[in-house]
Amino acid sequence: MTREISMGQAIHEALFEEMERDDTVFFFGEDVGEAGGVFGETQGMQQKFGAKRVFDTPIAESMIVGAAVGAAITGLRPIVELQFADFVSVAMDEIYNKAAKWRYMHGGLFTVPLVIFAAEGAAGGAGPEHSQCPEALFYSAFGLQVVTPSTPADAKGLLKSAIRSDNPVLFLEHKALANTSGEVPSGEHLVPLGVADVKRSGSDVTIVAWSNMVLRALEAASELAADGISVEVVDPRGINPLDMDTILASVRKTGRVVLAHEAAVTGGPASEVLARITEQAWDWLQSPVKRVGAPDIPMPQSIALEQRVVPGTSDIVAAVKEII
Amino acid sequence: MSDSLALYEMMVRCNVWEQKLLWMIDEGLVSGFFHAGRGQEAIPVGACSVLREDDYLLYAHRGIGYLIAKGLGMEKLFGDFLANSAGTTGGLGAGIVHIAWPELGILGQSGTLGGSFPIATGAGLSAQYRGTDQVVLTFFGDGTSARGTLHESLNASKLWNLPVIWLCENNGVGATVANERMLANQDVADLALGYKIPAVTVDGQDVEAVQSAVQTAVDRARNGGGPTFIEAKTHRFRGHYEGDPQLWRDRDELRRLRKEKDPIVLFADRLVADGRASADQLASITTSVRAEVDAAAELALAAPPPADDRIYQGVYA
Repeated sequence: MTREISMGQAIHEALFEEMERDDTVFFFGEDVGEAGGVFGETQGMQQKFGAKRVFDTPIAESMIVGAAVGAAITGLRPIVELQFADFVSVAMDEIYNKAAKWRYMHGGLFTVPLVIFAAEGAAGGAGPEHSQCPEALFYSAFGLQVVTPSTPADAKGLLKSAIRSDNPVLFLEHKALANTSGEVPSGEHLVPLGVADVKRSGSDVTIVAWSNMVLRALEAASELAADGISVEVVDPRGINPLDMDTILASVRKTGRVVLAHEAAVTGGPASEVLARITEQAWDWLQSPVKRVGAPDIPMPQSIALEQRVVPGTSDIVAAVKEII
Repeated sequence: MSDSLALYEMMVRCNVWEQKLLWMIDEGLVSGFFHAGRGQEAIPVGACSVLREDDYLLYAHRGIGYLIAKGLGMEKLFGDFLANSAGTTGGLGAGIVHIAWPELGILGQSGTLGGSFPIATGAGLSAQYRGTDQVVLTFFGDGTSARGTLHESLNASKLWNLPVIWLCENNGVGATVANERMLANQDVADLALGYKIPAVTVDGQDVEAVQSAVQTAVDRARNGGGPTFIEAKTHRFRGHYEGDPQLWRDRDELRRLRKEKDPIVLFADRLVADGRASADQLASITTSVRAEVDAAAELALAAPPPADDRIYQGVYA
């Protein structure tokens, strides 16, 4: 049994179900209490679970994430919200050095089961500090898991797995996907962290896409099918753990690769995957690998300019045609 | 042993342990990556003496008194500095920053100074959430009090009435720079006033004064009275790290401090003057502690180094 629901609803369900299942799970962050979260993800949660388990914090991102680390190493499973994913930089020490490394540097004596929930991506004029997709910053945050769902089913299943994970997880929901809808299984639905999903099967070219760009890649694949080009779309569902086996299997099948994400090309998620493909699948490549991403600039605030920066379906189609 | 002799013994233990470690540094067995705690023993010993085993500790990097006084085996401490399998981190860590022991509430230390403040807040939040009466004792230096994380954490701890004790060891110098050139206000306890957190300043060379102040704070926290801020004014007898030439320091003043402000000597004198102990009793405590420390060092020195695959263990759960 499945139902068609939005990603926002899927996330809502995941949070409510996990809060009900495990009373060591609790949620805190800016505007998440009565207001229900700036993106509505905690709507009704404080009313249902009480102010002890869902509460507002001061505007203090370092404290929010660091407190989650402190709560996690003393037996709880906190979920903290950073609102805009750009704010990871305010709490960078707490994410990069504390959440990610506390277990390792203290000899594996602790587990750090926390989720950092943040909304990423361009959403219509939010400006350079409220529109970024920062996942690739965390390739080197060894100890941290980073998840980027593209469908409501993935969002629900990945978030539930993230909450149950004994590792710290940065969960990045793209703002533009909140109102997209899709089939989500009824009842318990878990998606394991670190398993890529082949969203569409094909034989001529592989598009590896993240988050919002998975939808654009699927549109591109449909357009290209009309030209007789068979496209496989692989969604890594995050950057760590990174399921290179699934990506490499697809590359070996098609011999051609386009990598697509909303973050700027330089230092974006594709850079590391491209490096691994050349190291591990060079012999199968029939043409150079192409990257599709934003130009190397901060996101402009003007909506018109923002829409020129965010890669679109036509950019992906053009990239595929260049290498086919 | 009486409580006051136990305090004395614990301070001696910290000092003798450190002397042994300095010997290990001289012998090339341990890196010089150590920030000696000589002169400040009264603070961790007095403070930890009123904690329960299940209370939480986030420690600072000056000396190892916090850990010995919280009950951690001295051979484990040596093992962490020797970077071998006797250490709490099983040979991964090589010094003060990495030591932890969850069973004793020792939550570790943040390598970035000030990184412990939010974690202490979270541990306090956790105790409150779980409905226990555990308290969190957080040590930090005056230099670290300049971090913004302290502001965020003081605010939250008062706002949420968390059982956290903020204990600043103010030795007048942050690393190698005197506080006159670092802090707009060198009376660090004043920071707490801005958050309406009860604050007290104590003589950090007086182990009983520290004990009494922390006892009041612990009672307040356990009874739901929220956080307390304690500033212990103290003196550092050695450099920031071993090998620090301390060029900023007046040698005569340092000699005077060592002579007049040694917390162990001051306490010994008081115990004898009060008739709480005889000089012979105190001397025999030192003798037995030396034997205890030597035995711990011997155990740790005999432990094997970690295997190469140790580097891959514990990245993820």
